[in-house]
Amino acid sequence: MYGRKGFKLISELDLYSDILPFNEALIKEVLQEMQSLYDANVANSNAIRNDNNMALLPSVQLRHIALKRNKRCILAYIYNRMRKLKELRWELGSILPPEINTNLINAEVQWFQSYNKSLAKYMRSLGEDHGFNLTTNMVPPKTLYVEVKCVEDFGKLELDDGQVILLKKNTYHLLPRSVCEPLIRQGILEHKST
Amino acid sequence: MACCQSYIPDYFAITDILSTEERISCKIEVELPGLGFLDSSCQSENLKVGTKVEFPLWLAEPLKNLQNSVVSVDIPKIYKEGYREILEADAEVIVLSKWNPFYYELGMHVRKFSDRDYEIITESLLQTFKSRFQLVMDWSQNAMSDPTLSIQLPRLERDLFLIGQQAKIRLVEWLKMGTNELVVSEITTNLKKRKREQYEFD
Amino acid sequence: MENNGDVQMTAENDDQEEEEVTAQSVLLAIEEAWLNEKFAPEILPHRSDLVDCMLQQIMHMEENMKRLDKEDLRLMIHRMELDRIKYVITNYLRARLEKIEKYTIHILSQEATRSSEECYLTVAELQFAKEFLTNIEMLFKTIALQHMPGNFQTFEVDTLTVKPNLQTYVFLRANDRINGIIVPGSMDEEIDLEPGSQHIIQYSAVADLVKSGAVKLI
Repeated sequence: MYGRKGFKLISELDLYSDILPFNEALIKEVLQEMQSLYDANVANSNAIRNDNNMALLPSVQLRHIALKRNKRCILAYIYNRMRKLKELRWELGSILPPEINTNLINAEVQWFQSYNKSLAKYMRSLGEDHGFNLTTNMVPPKTLYVEVKCVEDFGKLELDDGQVILLKKNTYHLLPRSVCEPLIRQGILEHKST
Repeated sequence: MACCQSYIPDYFAITDILSTEERISCKIEVELPGLGFLDSSCQSENLKVGTKVEFPLWLAEPLKNLQNSVVSVDIPKIYKEGYREILEADAEVIVLSKWNPFYYELGMHVRKFSDRDYEIITESLLQTFKSRFQLVMDWSQNAMSDPTLSIQLPRLERDLFLIGQQAKIRLVEWLKMGTNELVVSEITTNLKKRKREQYEFD
Repeated sequence: MENNGDVQMTAENDDQEEEEVTAQSVLLAIEEAWLNEKFAPEILPHRSDLVDCMLQQIMHMEENMKRLDKEDLRLMIHRMELDRIKYVITNYLRARLEKIEKYTIHILSQEATRSSEECYLTVAELQFAKEFLTNIEMLFKTIALQHMPGNFQTFEVDTLTVKPNLQTYVFLRANDRINGIIVPGSMDEEIDLEPGSQHIIQYSAVADLVKSGAVKLI
């Protein structure tokens, strides 16, 4: 039956919540199925036109539906991966961890960069001078400062008031919440609740 | 997610694509030259009129809706009177996912096949959902619930169940004294797990 | 007879109080705008007036805070207030961006029918929406469309459009008294809403009321 490969693409998306390596091989197979469906339809359409063989029409119609289905599966695969990538931008920031980067195809890396640019431009347009960062302050604030443990070497961190903190692995700090939020999400700091 | 959106099938919706792959029993009404292979038991090159086949919904529905219907379709029995009566009796005890993992989504598509039964099937889907909803909610709010529960639920209920669980967990955390704990993003946790696994294998 | 100094102090205090009242009411308005945006299925008319005002307020507060001694208790209070304001603004704008990203084609085509006074998107949002669409088109074309046979290479705008479900049910509280809402699907039954009352109803029946501020979504 047509469309099984396309279905496999979408099933894979559904089964795993992470972004897996781009399944180039399967995409190629779906495209190949589309090509052979299309070629058969071109041949049939010519026969219909030249020999007035209307009996071929229902087959052409069926293949057309299968072509649309395959297109849908491919585009939905790309779209839903893009959606997950987008989520990552908000979760992890504008630089993706290498483990995820290797699973992306070139066009996706390009898309991510363009999305970053577009988002940065939008955020800069807010407020008068320096824009407004929408990727912090996503969680309702309850406390001002949070106690954190640094679990990975990060280096120097500059606070709003000019103070510079050295974030070395296994050190503890009391830092403003808004500063910690992205670093906690990225796994560099750990929130120590009292 | 900063905004709340209910599920509605659209071009890119994974659930819709998966649910429309479900098989529908059809009968060929117009001969399909060159497509005999679509029926595994067929010997000839053409798919003959009268042949019974199982086509996926995404194919069956548009073929039926063509001006010259290429197929006629049979509504799956789980949406017919006999099964509907079973649900009316006690929808809660049925393991709906066994009937079909996409019971509701498929039903919403399949009801269009019969003018006569369109309303009845729609109503049945709604009533079934209503009777089972309390159960799904109770399960999702109960921290001790069986981890295999979500497998027994059809897709729509399973998604609601998981959302409900998440909401309960977040509520409990919020109610806990003092701090609103910031957490590592789930994605980072998964990445770290995998890194650790790799390290152990090296 | 009153000391000149005293009179001046009073005048200053009054000004400050007025400023606070306005800032408070703007914050309340933005909170309402945020919740409306969060629960409405479609994108609502923008409130850049409120956002700009709030961002200015944030700037002033940050300026004031710089002048305070680090040990000053007021610093903490200001910071908490700041965090709160930033949280509301952030989530308001993010909810809008999420909708723009999900319903891009639909929003752009609707916006094209509106005059500049009635537009729902800010200039920056419109730009973002257009770029988002261009980027998706490029993504689809590069990976797939250009490899598809014949007519299937087209980026079919109509087929790919995702529209919000306006039949979604929403919780609302009526701000004013409202008469004659037609309840959808129930043989044109009409209901009236008392101010302060809460209801659950299909969004399509109250969309205009949300946009006019007559009801707010909760």
